[in-house]
Amino acid sequence: MNTKSLKLLSWLVIALITLGTVYFTIEMTQNARMETRLDEYMPKNHPDFIYSDQAEEWFNIKDGILIAIENPEGVYNQNTLQKIKDMTKQLQDMDEFEDNDVTSLYSADNITGSEAGMEVESFYKKVPKTKDALDKIRENVKSNDMVYGRLISEDETVALVVAGMADSVFSEDFYNEILSFSKSFEGDGDKIYVAGRPIVEGTMGLLGPADMKRMVPLVLIVIVIVLGFVLRSFKATVATLLTVFISSIWAFGLMAATGIPIYSVSTMIPVMLIAIGVAYGIYFYNHLDHYLLAHVNSDRILSTKHTLQMLWKPLSMAAATTMIGFISLLTSQVYPIKYFGLFTAFGIFVSYLLTMILLPSFVIIFGYKPSKKIQGETKKNNFKFFFNKLTLSLLSKKRTVYITVLVVFILSVIGLSQVWINSSFLDKFEKDSDIVLTDQFVNSKFGGTSTLNVILEAKEKDAFKQPENLDLIDNMQSETKKLNRVGNSFSLSDYLKRMNKVMNADMVEYYKIPENADLVAQYLLLYEMSGDPENLTKVVNYDYNKTNITFQLKGDDSKTINEALAVIEGYKDEFAKNGIELKYAGSGYKALVFTDLILEGQVMSIIMSLVLALIILTVLFKSFKAGLIGSIPVFLTALISFGVMGILNIPLSTTTALLSSIAIGIGIDYAIHFIQHYRENMVQFNDPRQAVQATMLQTGKAILFNAVVVISGFLVLLFSVFPPNRTLGALVSLNMFTSLLGTLSLMMILIVVNKLFLKKN
Amino acid sequence: MKRLNLVFVMALVVAITGMKYSASNIGGAEIMQKVYDLPTGDDTQGELTMTLVNKQGEQRVRKLKQYIKSGEEVDKKIMFFMAPADVKGTSFMSWSYSDGRDDDQWIYLPALKRTKRISSDGKGDYFMGSDFTYDDLGDRHPSEDNHKLLREETINGVKCYVVESTPKDEDYMYSKTITWVIKDVYIGLKRDFYDEDGKLMKSLQINKYEKIQGFWTILETEMKNHSKNHKTKMSFSNVAINKGIPDSKFTERSMTLGK
Repeated sequence: MNTKSLKLLSWLVIALITLGTVYFTIEMTQNARMETRLDEYMPKNHPDFIYSDQAEEWFNIKDGILIAIENPEGVYNQNTLQKIKDMTKQLQDMDEFEDNDVTSLYSADNITGSEAGMEVESFYKKVPKTKDALDKIRENVKSNDMVYGRLISEDETVALVVAGMADSVFSEDFYNEILSFSKSFEGDGDKIYVAGRPIVEGTMGLLGPADMKRMVPLVLIVIVIVLGFVLRSFKATVATLLTVFISSIWAFGLMAATGIPIYSVSTMIPVMLIAIGVAYGIYFYNHLDHYLLAHVNSDRILSTKHTLQMLWKPLSMAAATTMIGFISLLTSQVYPIKYFGLFTAFGIFVSYLLTMILLPSFVIIFGYKPSKKIQGETKKNNFKFFFNKLTLSLLSKKRTVYITVLVVFILSVIGLSQVWINSSFLDKFEKDSDIVLTDQFVNSKFGGTSTLNVILEAKEKDAFKQPENLDLIDNMQSETKKLNRVGNSFSLSDYLKRMNKVMNADMVEYYKIPENADLVAQYLLLYEMSGDPENLTKVVNYDYNKTNITFQLKGDDSKTINEALAVIEGYKDEFAKNGIELKYAGSGYKALVFTDLILEGQVMSIIMSLVLALIILTVLFKSFKAGLIGSIPVFLTALISFGVMGILNIPLSTTTALLSSIAIGIGIDYAIHFIQHYRENMVQFNDPRQAVQATMLQTGKAILFNAVVVISGFLVLLFSVFPPNRTLGALVSLNMFTSLLGTLSLMMILIVVNKLFLKKN
Repeated sequence: MKRLNLVFVMALVVAITGMKYSASNIGGAEIMQKVYDLPTGDDTQGELTMTLVNKQGEQRVRKLKQYIKSGEEVDKKIMFFMAPADVKGTSFMSWSYSDGRDDDQWIYLPALKRTKRISSDGKGDYFMGSDFTYDDLGDRHPSEDNHKLLREETINGVKCYVVESTPKDEDYMYSKTITWVIKDVYIGLKRDFYDEDGKLMKSLQINKYEKIQGFWTILETEMKNHSKNHKTKMSFSNVAINKGIPDSKFTERSMTLGK
């Protein structure tokens, strides 16, 4: 092909890619939608989720927004009681809540007993004016366990209004509405606190992306500067960044075009594409520089052609393996993770394509010259000197490297055993942030801001009218309550104990489950006729063979939930003896299962990638040894990533688990490029030391540049105000760093030691 | 439970007859007054089967025997649970006074072997966990609403007046109700209840009514709560009117006998 037609072809490539980018940009701006509802993340067909969703419907289990009204002088004054009433009624009037979803001192039933009989009343309807009447309310609350310590704090300075909210109701507007609604009750000595899972989720959903919006430009600026510095060329920097942008736009554009929403984990796609795409650009320009410096008189077309000849094989192999690594995430049960894998793989493909056709087109049309500085440096042999020295000193200090790696390995394994999963949302915030302090405050006054629902199911009807089963439930509740982090619990047994006491002249010794099943049935009938029967539907079904026990926990972290689960599990066998099955429900439990699933998928995907890397490298290089050695960067990166999390007590969560995907993307890349060039150099030198030295100078430099660029960019995130984003920055940097180190030290040494590809004469 | 005593069945039975009214030029208010004024017997007894069906399709079936006696100063009601077995013998009695005093109510739980007085501030607007409020059962006086005759309509061959009733009290739980009143009989055959937002909330339907001892009596009725996806069926059997139930039936001692 002549120069003219090649130029034409290059323009065509640019035009087509521009066209594609415009199309995907339009798709993205018109059809992209964010999915913030956490329920949408859960695998719909997982048995635990199906069960939990069912149980949530049976018992109207919802996440509570907790609005606490604090008055240091005590809540039993006209003003505060009026506020409780107004707040309750106004919440009930909101479309988002059913009357029955709002619980407060105003809406609660006061069941009281006397010698003569039983009364069911409100604590108040109109706010009383006299001190006597206010004191009466206070006495009533104090003697009612179903309210005292649950809706009014034991020190009588805080009252709680709880509004149960369905997951589907949540929106940004509603979140803001609830916050401003609550705050409008502040004043006259009353302070308002808003807590509960929906609020925490809402704050997180708003804060995380907002912080990212601030940080991303900074990250990009730093990457541009450092990239410009290592590439020493304006054109090369712009072109490399363009490939990163275009691949991200295409990935998100395709997502929009296929109608798949953007999940919060999707924000990790550009992170992966930056780390990997920048590397591709650097490889390209590195080879181009190399060729142009060696062949000063070469023209654009010849140099491009040569670069592609050198690059296409390792780049294709690396891109293919990386893509397969991400596609393996399709085995995950969690849809956002599947999509993350799929679209990252697509983005990598686009990056690869752009490196193979767009970058050459740029060179052909706009030309490219290595900067004077690179020429000067090469002349002065600064880099050569540095890399040769590095290579030699590493090779001479093999033992030090081995021992260091061994120590790191052992530490990582120890760290790995410490890794814990955390499904908590609260733990994502600063310890001194408003939301954490509010949560602590409400937890200190009441049973707990988080809930865990235990569902018992019996085959026989009326099982939960049997005193032995009810006693067992009661037992389980009091045993679990002994845990520090478990506040209150609530079940059918609480109703029955209260009724039994009330019907026996309010005598304390009757605060227990009635001894006879008929009496249980008759109390329940009585309650249904006198109280609000819908209250009972929250704890037991019509056939009395399904029951819901709610535990209030002082935290939503996995440790707290697991502690409670451990005690509850201890009752599983005893219930089983009575033909009762014990299961769980509620958003806290679902989050726990969900995190486990993500982790499981992630670990599976990394193991698969390792096996894949081993197989592909073995096949490509026709050597099992090469396969084993080439797997080192992936293995070390993943291991150290988890190990450091364990040692630094960073819990695994959706984001942190996914970050180890970088091991797949970068680790395999580095290994393939390095070994491929080493093999080519071996053809020339047939001496491992010489070949590795030459490889270090080419590929080693490219790898170092890539790591430096990405690390400096992501280190910017350490200044983020949102802790998860800080962790993200630190872990991306760490993973890049270990990939770099693993490739250029241990892998390099092992290649030499094993005399890889040495032809024996 | 203040009004537990009440009306109850017979409030339903109230939705009774009166062939004697002529149907020409009648207004909505007049129609509803006639429905309210339908004559009942001095005493009524019968068996009630109440079936609650929740959205999961689970059922609670209760069988009760009940006696009602109206007097000059006091209306007395007593009911005995027959089924399910674990509540058999549980009984309720209520006396409601025409002078506006609070009702007196008693409950007897056989497992406790004690009669207790009970009282409530009327929060339990729904009758025994059903979809009927006491008002739905006929306790609401027509003067509490404004009525408008919308049209005449034939349902399943029965000619009806269609009357829209709007509460005078804006805070009432329904924004309006629409009632299909059988022409010349003055039984409400069907009623739709609309919530505060004007959305259809509940539908009441009469499935069976008969003339017993000269009084029109509703024997089967069903209320569907659309927003809660919940349903209540009530059916009456062995209804007898004006049998001369003795006052001794309505005593604390009678409650403990369980029938």
